[in-house]
Amino acid sequence: MDTRESLLQGGDSGLAVKLGKSQESLLIELVSGLDADNVMPKKGTRLTASEIGLLRAWIDQGSPWATGVTFARPRSLNLLPPEPVAKVSASSPLNPVDQILGPYFTEKAVPPGAVVEDRAFARRVYLDVVGLLPTADELAVFLADERTDKRTQLAKRVLGEGEGYAGHWLSFWNDLLRNDYRGTGYIDGGREPISSWLFNALRTNRPYDQFVADLVNPTPGTAGFTKGIVWRGVVNSSQTPQMQAAQGISQVFLGVNLKCASCHDSFVNDWRLADAYSMAAVYSDGPLEMFQCDKPTGKTVASRFLYPELGEIDPTADKAARLKRLAELMTAPTNGRLPRTIVNRLWARLFGRGLVEPVDDMEQPAWDQDLIDWLAQDLVANHYDLKHTLEVMLTSRAYQRPAVNLGEAVSKEFVFRGPAIRRLSAEQFDDAVGQITGVWPEKAALSVPTQPVRASLVVADPLAVALGRPNREQIVTTREMAATTLQALELTHGQTLADRLHRGALKLTEPGMAPAPLVERLFRQALGRPPSPVEAQLAAGLVGQPASAEGVEDLLWTLAMLPEFQLID
Amino acid sequence: MNHNRRDFLKTASAATLAALAAGYPRRLVGAEAADQKLQPTADRVIVLWMAGGMAHTETFDPKRYTPFEKGMAPNAFLSTFPSIQTAVDGIKFSEGLERLARVMDRGTLIRTYTAGDLGFILHSRHQYQWHTGYAPPQSVAAPHLGAVIARTLGPLNPVVPPFINLGQRLDLGEGEELKAFTTAGFLGSEYGPFNIPFPDQAANSVRPPSGMTPGRFENREKFFKRILAASPIGQQGSGYQQESLLRSLDNAYHLLSSPAAKAFDLSLEPIDQIRNYVPSYQPNQRFDAAQDRFGAKYEEQMVGRFGLGCLLARRLAEVGARYIEVTTEYIPFLNWDTHENGHLRAAAMKRQIDAPVAQLILDLEERGLLDRTLVVLASEFSRDALIEGKPDKKVKDQVEVPEKLEDAKFYGMHRHFTDAGSVLLFGGGVKKGYVHGRTADERPCRTLENRVVIEDLHASIYSALGISPKLAYEIERRPFYVTRDGLGRRIGELFARSS
Repeated sequence: MDTRESLLQGGDSGLAVKLGKSQESLLIELVSGLDADNVMPKKGTRLTASEIGLLRAWIDQGSPWATGVTFARPRSLNLLPPEPVAKVSASSPLNPVDQILGPYFTEKAVPPGAVVEDRAFARRVYLDVVGLLPTADELAVFLADERTDKRTQLAKRVLGEGEGYAGHWLSFWNDLLRNDYRGTGYIDGGREPISSWLFNALRTNRPYDQFVADLVNPTPGTAGFTKGIVWRGVVNSSQTPQMQAAQGISQVFLGVNLKCASCHDSFVNDWRLADAYSMAAVYSDGPLEMFQCDKPTGKTVASRFLYPELGEIDPTADKAARLKRLAELMTAPTNGRLPRTIVNRLWARLFGRGLVEPVDDMEQPAWDQDLIDWLAQDLVANHYDLKHTLEVMLTSRAYQRPAVNLGEAVSKEFVFRGPAIRRLSAEQFDDAVGQITGVWPEKAALSVPTQPVRASLVVADPLAVALGRPNREQIVTTREMAATTLQALELTHGQTLADRLHRGALKLTEPGMAPAPLVERLFRQALGRPPSPVEAQLAAGLVGQPASAEGVEDLLWTLAMLPEFQLID
Repeated sequence: MNHNRRDFLKTASAATLAALAAGYPRRLVGAEAADQKLQPTADRVIVLWMAGGMAHTETFDPKRYTPFEKGMAPNAFLSTFPSIQTAVDGIKFSEGLERLARVMDRGTLIRTYTAGDLGFILHSRHQYQWHTGYAPPQSVAAPHLGAVIARTLGPLNPVVPPFINLGQRLDLGEGEELKAFTTAGFLGSEYGPFNIPFPDQAANSVRPPSGMTPGRFENREKFFKRILAASPIGQQGSGYQQESLLRSLDNAYHLLSSPAAKAFDLSLEPIDQIRNYVPSYQPNQRFDAAQDRFGAKYEEQMVGRFGLGCLLARRLAEVGARYIEVTTEYIPFLNWDTHENGHLRAAAMKRQIDAPVAQLILDLEERGLLDRTLVVLASEFSRDALIEGKPDKKVKDQVEVPEKLEDAKFYGMHRHFTDAGSVLLFGGGVKKGYVHGRTADERPCRTLENRVVIEDLHASIYSALGISPKLAYEIERRPFYVTRDGLGRRIGELFARSS
């Protein structure tokens, strides 16, 4: 009964509806319960008298139903491999992203913008690629560089850093894969970390298709992801490890939410209970009995890929073979959802908002479909090299546009005008403070030979938690970045930050030191620029002549609190 | 055109996006519309959390007392203390709760709180369920009761964090599981708990960091403002990000310099008042030494921490905190979590709570605050000497119980009992001198009538505050109800007025 045509055609029992004659319509007979053995709906609450009356009136009025309106499940968006994008030509000197955005900007009447200055660009690139501020020296070198393609060269060079890149992107993937050094479930063996494998995969820039295959078809180093979090005792059937695996894989790699469909046919999207269970069955030893609202249904389902149009899994194969097949289907060229989902996440990181939003709802159109399609096929064409995709984005003119205030763009239709003003993440803030104080954590929770010890390598402390590091009990794909009073209390009164600044000040202050050079150095490191004369004078006054550790500490704190430090614009 | 669920929800996504930009989940209007007008009888809540499983027959629902006798059977005793009269005829408490007995006429006693059936009994799972209304694991980060209240009602006093959590360290055993529910979850960390594990040191939470004098702190603040004003970057490219950053810093600073900050400083309370909460209190005594072994030193620390926690709760209520939780602290196998020496430990726990809780009620009453403050004393489940779980839903035993008690260390309630439990309610519109529910007088001392489950207890708390139990917040496009699936029902009999 999806369209008017199919309703009027009828089915095996004959015509459901006789236009204009509700009293002779089979549909009405069934819902009225005239035949006690044959009532619709078979399960659930019967229609009320007034609802039946409404149906009858509708039939008697000729069943008005606008053409083209259908209740059938729509074809999934962003699923099939993208078509080539005509707008992009290899011979153009422009970055493909800009080639696509050219017509977009024209259509949306967005004026061409200038690009931000070198200092701002460098800060963005370093923070986005390795999660650190450019050092004063690195910045000076870049500013003095006279090559016309120096920005491209900078992006390439910073992307080439293995340890730094891993130290930053580890947090992104820990959020997505629910990985942490501590957390619920560890206490009784109900959870396993994947940190070593993950850090290494990032450090070596493991191709994304292999990365995904490793996680979906687990090895000992990656099993923790699909093992999930097992709480002891009775657990709701929608949260068994197999269901968690299905939900996790679907959300992270395919950008769809199976959580609702894990209990009942979803009310918020078109996924059904059987879809979620069929995916979960891939991870179980045999067919799975479906539980609806935690009650057994008596029905079992066999393994089935979420998108059978992309390929099938033999449900009779053993688990190892099924997992191998699932990994194949997830990473095959026929799966156009996998690359689109990840390029969308990367775009959201760099630009502050995805091409598709929310980023976990990929069955929606992008604000520019060519852009997401091109980026996806370009990733695949470059052997799933995520750093390549990052480089394309970083070297685009779009990325270099002045930052935009997204919060104010609360209008019906989003128009892209440039990267959003973003805030340093908890880890970026911690690491930046490390850079300006020279004080770093002593011991990493993950044993890697990386120096210094990055925030992503230690357990969460009260400051990191206050600044938004999640506890990873659930998958997190976008952190909330609002400034809260509790955060501010931690920043102004908290002992965690205070101790670090205190120790940093002691390191930085030498007896008899003049304030001015230190002030200049700290401004350059923290903000990437020298202090203005007024700032220099104020700061020197605070620091004191000769410099006092207390004064230096207070200057460090001030610099760390400035929006100029905490925001990426 | 496809009219599928997605498209019907399309109008939601623009608003959701706006909410995303603003950072807060959208409150679903209409979810409350169905309910009758809720007249709040309380403006604030104080939860006194008896973490670890407080045996009802050893506290507020005493049964026949049998003293210890070497060789006795575990089935031979229901209570290990005699009972005492309270200020209300017909209501008896267990010995050791004399002060609380005298204020029973201000409140309501539920004897039939029953915990959920979560299989093998784990404290953290039941505590999670008690505090969020949902059993873990959940597919979204479920918010704590305090966070829901903070988000829905907002702060009472704009400078005071609306949700304050006293007395629980989060880095102990099962700490990760505690953190899982000690959170605002998807509501956003603006409504998260302000954690103060050591109430006697609360003043530090609103003071400059240690080593910094108030004068220096003020200068730093002034300097910050001057540098900000002098910035050559200026306010260009500013907007809500910059504004909210600066505003949050301002708020933090204002708390420090506001009269409300004094509430955190217990040294400002006269000593004789402090001794109403902690009888043995000595001036400048500290209670922040971590104790992990049961003994006199430990008991002194815990009595001090909880007692001062109750005092701090009163002071915070006076300056406009919205939700305050004070706990006796969950430490595996310590405090109420008695796996052995149940009798001795119950005696110690009653010493820990009797004076301060009673004093809290009296002080609130004296200050005219009790009527609009709902005080809830509760635990995640009860205890029994023999039954683990419920009589008809037994779960795997966790504690060995010998056939004959040769040693007094086996004398007490060491197993986790989920078919009854005591909850004390004061103020906030509850009936005075009323008992709700009846439990059996012989083992199993289970609920016989008027069972209370967590969603109904929450519904009653929310309703007292004027919050509908059907209220929902939108997360990932679906409603998340403040009581389980919106099914919580206010227990009218608990309240002085029926609606």
